Amino acid sequence: MTDTVKPLATPLLEVTNLKTWFPSGRGEVKAVDSVSFSIAPGEVLGLVGESGSGKSITGFSIIGLIDEPGRIVEGSIKLEGRELVGLPAHELRAIRGKVISMVFQDPMMTLNPVLSIGMQIKLALEAHENISSSDARERAIKALAQVRISEPERKVDFFPHQFSGGMRQRVAIAIALLHRPKLIICDEPTTALDVSIQAEILAEMKELVSELGTALIWISHDLAVVSSIADRVAVMKSGQIVEIGPALAVLTKPQHEYTRALLDALPSRARPGQLLLRGSGIADAAPPPRKSATANLPPLGSPYLVIDDIVKRFEKPAGLFRSLAIKSGLSRPVSTVLAVGGVSITVSRGDVLGLVGESGSGKSTLGRMAAGITVPTSGTIRLNGQPVMSAGRSPKKITTRIQTIFQDPFASLNGRMRIGDIIAEGPLAHRLVSRAEAPGYVKQWLAAVGLDPAFADRFPHQFSGGQRQRIAIARALAMQPDVIVCDEPVASLDVSIQAQIINLLIRLRAELDLSLLFISHDLSVVRHLCDRVAIMYQGRIVEEGEAAEIYADPQHAYTKRLLAAVPVLPQAAE
Amino acid sequence: MFGFILQRLWQAIIVVIAMSALVFCGVYAVGNPIDVLISPDATQDIRAAVIAQYGLDQPLWQQYLTFIGRILHGDFGRSFVYSMPVSELILSRLPATLELTLVAVLFASLVGIPIGMYAGYKPHSPISRAIMALSILGFSVPTFWFGLMLIMVFAVQCGCMPAGGRGDTVSLFGVDFSFLTFDGLSHLVLPALNLSLFKFSLMIRLARAGTRELMLSDTVKFARAAGLSEFTLLSRHVLRLISIPLVTVFGLELGSTLAFAVVTETIFSWPGLGKLIINSITSLDRPVMVAYLMLVALLFIVINLVVDLTYALLDPRLRKGRA
Repeated sequence: MTDTVKPLATPLLEVTNLKTWFPSGRGEVKAVDSVSFSIAPGEVLGLVGESGSGKSITGFSIIGLIDEPGRIVEGSIKLEGRELVGLPAHELRAIRGKVISMVFQDPMMTLNPVLSIGMQIKLALEAHENISSSDARERAIKALAQVRISEPERKVDFFPHQFSGGMRQRVAIAIALLHRPKLIICDEPTTALDVSIQAEILAEMKELVSELGTALIWISHDLAVVSSIADRVAVMKSGQIVEIGPALAVLTKPQHEYTRALLDALPSRARPGQLLLRGSGIADAAPPPRKSATANLPPLGSPYLVIDDIVKRFEKPAGLFRSLAIKSGLSRPVSTVLAVGGVSITVSRGDVLGLVGESGSGKSTLGRMAAGITVPTSGTIRLNGQPVMSAGRSPKKITTRIQTIFQDPFASLNGRMRIGDIIAEGPLAHRLVSRAEAPGYVKQWLAAVGLDPAFADRFPHQFSGGQRQRIAIARALAMQPDVIVCDEPVASLDVSIQAQIINLLIRLRAELDLSLLFISHDLSVVRHLCDRVAIMYQGRIVEEGEAAEIYADPQHAYTKRLLAAVPVLPQAAE
Repeated sequence: MFGFILQRLWQAIIVVIAMSALVFCGVYAVGNPIDVLISPDATQDIRAAVIAQYGLDQPLWQQYLTFIGRILHGDFGRSFVYSMPVSELILSRLPATLELTLVAVLFASLVGIPIGMYAGYKPHSPISRAIMALSILGFSVPTFWFGLMLIMVFAVQCGCMPAGGRGDTVSLFGVDFSFLTFDGLSHLVLPALNLSLFKFSLMIRLARAGTRELMLSDTVKFARAAGLSEFTLLSRHVLRLISIPLVTVFGLELGSTLAFAVVTETIFSWPGLGKLIINSITSLDRPVMVAYLMLVALLFIVINLVVDLTYALLDPRLRKGRA
C-alpha cells in the first residue's frame, strides 16, 4: 500500500486486511482480498475500479450487508475504534442508518414504489428513535428541503413514480442523512443520471458534506466524477487496492500501471480520432470482402443518409368509448408525447455524426426511425436517394444497408441461439450468403471484430459485456451495411472495454467506409469518435456542426450548460 | 376512476347477457325436463298440459325472451323440483356457502401468507423446507380424499369432530350463521380446512416466491441500510409489494371457491349452493341451473371489479390515467 498521507486525527473508519469471499462451485471467489484503508472524520474517499473489482462489496462489507453466501473471512473494520466485524445483527442494525448510511446506484430501484416518500422517511426515522407521526412529518419536510427539493410540504406525500431520477436520488440522500451519520457510503450514486443532474447532485453533495462534517466513501467507475469530489482516491483491481493517495496525485501522477491504463483508456485524454490504449486481445483480422457492388455509391463526403423534417408523436390508442367521447366533444383527445419534433439532419457518406442529448431528448427515437425500426409520424428518411421504409398503412424497412447496434449487449442478443447463428441469421434471410458459405462468413466476421472464430458455437451467456458488444457489431456488419446507427454502444461498458470498442469502431469505419450515426450521452466519447455533432434537446436539434467547433465554441445555451456539466479530470502540471 | 367503473359495469352487463343465452341453450340441449317431471304412465293430455304450463311448447328463442322478460321484473322463475321461486331457493342456500368459503379463503390467506413470507425470508432453514414440502402435498392431494381422511380421523377414530351438517345456527339479520355457536363452529372446522387446503398451499408458494425475490432487491437493501428492523422490513415494505399478485389470486380463488365448493359440500353434507346445483343438474331443474350460473358470472365480475379497485388502492402508480 502506498498510503503516503496518513490522516493525523484518529481515523473515523479503519479497515485492515479485509477479506470478503463468496464460496462458489470452484472454490472461493475473493471479491475483496486484503483491503486496508482509513478515513478521517469529514474526509471524502473515492473508491475507483471497473466492474467486478470489489469496490461495491467493500462498501457492503463496511455496512454489514453482504448477500448470502458471502462473508467476511478475515480482517477488521473499526468505526471510531469499535470493531464491527463479528458484531451481533441487532447491534449492527443500530449502527446502520444512524452512524453509517448508504446511497445506492439506481434511484429507480431503491425507493419502495408503493409507499409515499413521507412514509418511507418516517420508517427510517422510527428505526432509530421514537417519534410521533406529526414530528416525523415535520422532520421529513425538513429533510427534503435540505436536499433542495422545492415545495417539500407538498412533495412529502408524493410517491416515487412522481419524481424524476435525480429527484429520487435526492430523496435517497435525504434518507441517508436523516440521523446525521458520520459516514455515508455512496455506491455509484450518479451513474444512472444525466450529466447535468449528476453535476447538480455532485455540487450539492459536496456542500452538504462540508456543512455537516460527514465523511464519504464515493464508489464509482468514473475517474472524472471521483476527481471532482474526493480528497483521496483508492484504485481497486481484482479485490485489491493497487494505489491510494491524494486525488490530484493519483490522477495526475499515477504510480501503478493499472491506474495509468485506466487513465489512458479515457477518450477525454486522447486526441480525437486517435486509437485509445488497447487492452489485451487477439489481433483483429481484416473484414471479409464486400459482397454487394459498391460501384453505384456516391463518393465519400457527399450527402448519404438524409433525414428530412421528421416527426414522431407517441399516443395512447383510444378505446371505443373514448374515441366516441372525443368525437362527440365530451372528452379531450388522448394526450400525446412529441418525442421528435421536426428534425432534419444529413449524414455524409463516410462521416460519423454524433447525436448527443440527455434521457428523454428523443435521440434514441430518432435513431430508431433512421434505422427503419420505428415508423415516423411524418417526414422522410432517404438513404442514397431511396426511402428507408416502404409507403403504405404499415410501413416496413426495405433496405439492409442500414443496421443498428444497441446499448445493452445482454438484452440485444437472443440467449438461446448460438452466436454463429445470431450473426448468420440476417445474411441468410436476405440471401447475402448461401447456407454452405455461412459458417465461413461468420468466422471471418468474428475474426474481424477481434474474437476467436471458434466461438461461433457458443451461447451469448458465455461472453462478457465487451465481447457481446463485439458480437452485436459483427451481427450488424455481416448485413453489409453502409450506415450503422449506434445507440449508446459503449454506455454500459467499463472504460477499458469501452476503449476497445471505440478502437474497433474507428478501425472498421476506416476499412469499410462506414457512415455512423452515433447516439450517446457521453460527450467525451462523442468528441473522440465523431466528425460532426448534433445536440438534441426536447425533441429538436438545437445545434449542429463540426465536432471541434462545437466543443470549442458552443453557441446554444443548452450546449453550453451540457458541456459545463461534464466532470473533467485534473490535468497534470507539466 | 368513475369512467373506469362505468366501463366495467358495461362489460358486466354484456357478460351476463352472453352468459344467460349460453346457459339457456346449453341446458336446453342437456335433456328434456318433462321426462323427469312427469311419471312415465301419465296420459298424453296431462303431459301436454304440463308442457304448456311450463311454456316448454314454445320455440327456444321465445322461451328465452320470456325468461329474460321475467328476469327484468325480478322473477327468476320457479324451480321445477322444489316448486318455489328460484331466487328464494338460492338465497336460502347462499349464506351457508358464503360462510364456508369466506372462512376457508380467509384462513388460507391469513395463515398462508405469513408462513409463505417466512419461507421466502429464510429459504434454507429446515422449517422453510418443511413448509414447502407441506404446500406441495396440499397441491397434489385430491380434495375428496383429504376430506374423507379428515372425517375418518377426526370424526370416526377420535370422535371429536362432527362428520357433517351445519350444526346449531344463530340468526343474525335474518340469516343463519354457524360460526357463532360452539356446535356450529365445530361443524365448520373440517369442511373449511378441507376447502382451504389448496388455496393455503397456493398462498404459501406465492408469498414465498415474492418475498424471496424482493429480499434481493435494492429496495430491501436500501431499507436495511437505513437500519430498519427485519420485522418492519417484512411487514411494511415486503408485504405491501407482494400484495398485488396475492390480491389477484385471492379474488380468483374466492370466486371459484364460492361457485364450485361442490365436492366439499357433498362430502360434509353442507347444505350450501354446491349441493343444490348438483341436485338440479341430476333432475334437469332448468331455472335453478340458469339462475345459479348467472349468479356465478355476476359474482366473478363483482370480485374482479373489487380486485381492480384494490390494485389502485395498493399501487399508487395505477391511480393516475384512469379518470
